[in-house]
Amino acid sequence: MMRQVIYALTLGVVAAYYFFGWGVVVQIALAVVTAIAVESAFLSIRNRPIKPSISDGSAALSAILLAISIPSIAPWWVVVVGVAFAIIFGKQLYGGLGNNPFNPAMLGYAFLLVSYPLQMTTWASEFLSFSQSLDVIFNLTSVDSLSGATRLDDVKTQLALGGFISNLELHSTSQAWINLSFLLGGLYLLFRRIITWHIPAAFIAGIVVISSVLYFIDDQIYLPMQNHLMLGATMLGAFFIATDPVSGSTTPKGRLIYGFLMGVLVVVIRVFGGYPDGVAFAVLLMNMIVPLIDYYTQPKVFGK
Amino acid sequence: MLSQSFSGGIVIPNPHPVEIVEIILAPLPDKVVLPLQQRIGDEAIPCVKVGDKVLTGQVIAKTEDHFCVPIHASISGKVVTIDERTIPHKSGLKSKCITIESDGKDQWVEHKGCGTDFLHCDQSTMIEYIQASGIVGLGGAGFPAHAKLEGIQDCHTLIINGTECEPGIMCDDALMQSHPREVIRGVEILLHICGAQRAIIAVEDDKQEALNSLLMYCHNDRISIEQIPTKYTSGAEKLLIKALLGIEAPSGGFAIDMGVVCQNVATTKAIFDAVIDSRPLVSRIVTVTGSGVESPNNFEVRLGASFEHIVSMSNPNDNQHAVRMGGMMMGVDVKDTTVPICKITNCIFVNDVLEKPDTQECIRCGKCNQACPVDLLPQQLYWYAKSENTDKAMDYNLADCIECRCCDYVCPSHIPLAEYFSFAKALYRKSTEDQYRTDIARERFEFREYRLERNKQERTEMMAAKKEELKKKMANDKSKKDKIAAAMARVEKTKKKKDDA
Repeated sequence: MMRQVIYALTLGVVAAYYFFGWGVVVQIALAVVTAIAVESAFLSIRNRPIKPSISDGSAALSAILLAISIPSIAPWWVVVVGVAFAIIFGKQLYGGLGNNPFNPAMLGYAFLLVSYPLQMTTWASEFLSFSQSLDVIFNLTSVDSLSGATRLDDVKTQLALGGFISNLELHSTSQAWINLSFLLGGLYLLFRRIITWHIPAAFIAGIVVISSVLYFIDDQIYLPMQNHLMLGATMLGAFFIATDPVSGSTTPKGRLIYGFLMGVLVVVIRVFGGYPDGVAFAVLLMNMIVPLIDYYTQPKVFGK
Repeated sequence: MLSQSFSGGIVIPNPHPVEIVEIILAPLPDKVVLPLQQRIGDEAIPCVKVGDKVLTGQVIAKTEDHFCVPIHASISGKVVTIDERTIPHKSGLKSKCITIESDGKDQWVEHKGCGTDFLHCDQSTMIEYIQASGIVGLGGAGFPAHAKLEGIQDCHTLIINGTECEPGIMCDDALMQSHPREVIRGVEILLHICGAQRAIIAVEDDKQEALNSLLMYCHNDRISIEQIPTKYTSGAEKLLIKALLGIEAPSGGFAIDMGVVCQNVATTKAIFDAVIDSRPLVSRIVTVTGSGVESPNNFEVRLGASFEHIVSMSNPNDNQHAVRMGGMMMGVDVKDTTVPICKITNCIFVNDVLEKPDTQECIRCGKCNQACPVDLLPQQLYWYAKSENTDKAMDYNLADCIECRCCDYVCPSHIPLAEYFSFAKALYRKSTEDQYRTDIARERFEFREYRLERNKQERTEMMAAKKEELKKKMANDKSKKDKIAAAMARVEKTKKKKDDA
């Protein structure tokens, strides 16, 4: 099951590779190796069998999700620290797979974003070759000439400086293509019945509703709905991150509420928060109220 | 076709399909072993001794328990032993069994029922025949048939369950194909007993042959035959009622609460035999299937014959086998094929021993709650059942779990969820029993304290009263003394006067 999710991510990874270069692949490799090493070490400390836990693919999946969320040119230690944090504090300390209340990848991401904001918001501005990527990731060359902010970040900064939506470049071809690729991968997961439609549909609905309302209120300071959908980690979040079953809501009705509120939170954090994207924080905040949602959305039992 | 089905349930194709569903009449066994413990109620008390000659259909054990049915000899011959033996049960239970060695003649006791013109019989006579013939639910539950039929008021619909309860079982299909006339006549008898306006025979849509043969014999416009989708757990009584009539029996309630009586087709056929000529139930149809046999088949076999008796006729392979009574989902594992066939043995699964996949952690994927036919949240229940938090599990409607194992079947982590639930239920029962016992003990203790206190108080009151009385007496005594003294004084006075004079 986790493997299927990893396969479904491939398309989005290829798109990211096309726009950012080999750094994407290097980050994923670093993340997966770290995840497996840390998970094995912790399992052996906890006297648990190592092989079944590694082969279920859950550690690798968390690692890949984190690796594709961070800039492809971030220094090597960023991803290593982030993945180690995700596996240790996000997963193993709670008792391993199935027991973690928070999405490990997003916990790792939030940790990195708070601790290393500069490295976490500096994205590659062009395709980098394998050697260029290695140079940048292992701190051999300066990144300045090759990097820039993301579109969401850019828009945010411009708006803060007094700009108006109508004068800004909102579109980002690379982001749109990456989002579309993740959308396709997500549809594959739906088709294979790995995930149910509830969370992604509600997540997207949440984004559409809140961004439309805001845009209706003032179309000069709030981004239109289509940009919210095609920028940042929207599609990755909708199909791959919000759908983490362990930390998410588990009842059919609960999943709709969970996804919808998360979509709303993503936009709220993007628009009113201090960070350019809000998926990670929205996921973590929603993880917190999962027990509450699940308790109040139990299905009607036959004959009751 | 259907008003509405229930949500959940799973579609499992028959794992070992056969081309022609038929019934093979198994030869008379050399000996039969008949357990005295039935599915519910007290253990029956033998009314024969070792060495007695018995006839087929003769009552050999019975109880006073009205809920139980008598036990009949299933062959004629001699009682050889009455002793404890392993019976096909989840816990490998032993029960007292009567063993009869066949004389090969199969001589029957005399039996005479209502006859084919049954309409002149009244309901209570029919129900008596049904109980005396030892009819229990042959679908696998073994609930006594007479108990379901007694005291029925306001029954509007009779449902005859012709759905095979689990994939792989073919005995009801075979019965409907081979004995459609008896089934239809049995339905007419049940209509007469229940007083219902109509009867619906439910047949799954993959059993076209059975449907055709029933239609051929069904000339009663009060009886309709409906096809329902082949889906696992549609054989469960309440779910079948929902699928056919669109009504939900209340949680904890029974079908009859809603004016519905439900009987299995094989039971219906047995009721026909019982009422028409009061013929006791001494045989049943059993499916033998599984990966360990080459030719899965249905056998009509005498009760008490060993599993081996018919398994050996289905060409078992030489591998090591896991034997299971009932279906692949809800059946019970038995130790081997030496255990006897009983009334609830609808199917014998003989499977090659396979390694079970390792259990992994629950990731709350929710596949189980999609499959659950009664809309529980197995993923949440699992959490509480595992931590033995039974109160919380009951909060999540543990009691409504029908243990159909749909959740186990779909679980990607191969967690035996239903086992956890069954265990949690037992734990809850035990804790409530313990609670009940401590409550009683406390009540008794408190009553004793109260009684002692009351006695003490009564005694003090009594003492006080006595004292009072004594005092009064004393007071009386005092006045007497005074009178005496006065008298004495008077005497003294007169004496003095006399002396003075």
